[in-house]
Amino acid sequence: MVDYFQERGFNTVEDADRSREEELERHIMRLMADFNLFDEMGMPNQLAPPASPEIVNNLPEEKIQETNCGKCDICLKEYEKDETVKIIPCKHKFHSECIIAWLTKTNSCPLCRHELPTSDPIYEQYRKEKKRQKEREIDIENLHNSMFS
Amino acid sequence: MANIAAQRIKREFKEVIKSEEVAKCAIKVELVNDNYTELKGEIAGPPDTPYEGGNFILEIKVPETYPFNPPKVRFITKIWHPNISSVTGAICLDILKDQWAAAMTLRTVLLSLQALLSAAEPDDPQDAVVAKQFKENAEMFHLTACHWTNIYAGGPSVNKDFDDKIKKLVEMGVDEHEARVALSSYNWDMERATEQLFS
Ligand SMILES: [Zn+2]
Ligand SMILES: [Zn+2]
Repeated sequence: MVDYFQERGFNTVEDADRSREEELERHIMRLMADFNLFDEMGMPNQLAPPASPEIVNNLPEEKIQETNCGKCDICLKEYEKDETVKIIPCKHKFHSECIIAWLTKTNSCPLCRHELPTSDPIYEQYRKEKKRQKEREIDIENLHNSMFS
Repeated sequence: MANIAAQRIKREFKEVIKSEEVAKCAIKVELVNDNYTELKGEIAGPPDTPYEGGNFILEIKVPETYPFNPPKVRFITKIWHPNISSVTGAICLDILKDQWAAAMTLRTVLLSLQALLSAAEPDDPQDAVVAKQFKENAEMFHLTACHWTNIYAGGPSVNKDFDDKIKKLVEMGVDEHEARVALSSYNWDMERATEQLFS
């Protein structure tokens, strides 16, 4: 929360004013959150960007052979004979129109959150960074385990 | 309302109503209008929490783009919780924002909210005042949350001391709810609450 103000240069307050400033900040943040202003400003609470159109277009398809073989978890309708479903890399399948509508909004499987590549360079950078961080944590843990066990 | 959203809600509606969890976990959904755009949710306060014995009403607004966008949910019943605004009932919960997924349902939302009542996340607060109390004075937080559950949600635990303090402020002409908010925000310190109310 504080970062938002720091980024915008709101941090040049004398120490004496500091607690007053923080109090005010808290009130502003509370008001913004209460009236869902963050949502409207497209601030932190956003879904990840859409899956890359190329990937979506090339998802493998399947024709439903018989009814009673399960339901689509997006629209909750039972699959019917001759409907087309798309299979995404995590092997989950959904009606073509249902999954396309979702993936043009955000890049993850509605069931297991497996992420598909996006065409947003900033998000891809962020995702790489996150992955690297995780790998580093695992490395450190392995190191720790090898030293102390 | 877009057809897909209404149809989806209709299907879910049956699911929630049929589900055994309705009885077990005490979650409920009711229609508010005929076109499925607005619903009324209800969750029971989970056991072993300050919300136990309380019944909490939720406003659920279904966007035209549902289930591709999450429903808009807020507490109608006033509640003292770090992730729920004590003023507007607005909720800070990831699945209602960036962690929403199209396979989630009203049932998942209600169960997640019930889980939020059991396990607050004070580091991602909606209500900074409540979150601060939760972190710095757990005992006071517990008593205050129990009191709010008693007054607004029909919970069982009456707090004579708190009720008396509010009564005193009401006799001085303060609105009852405002008195409760001020006292709750200042750890039931009469002097500081009075100072804030009359400043
Ligand atoms: Zn579908
Ligand atoms: Zn999946």
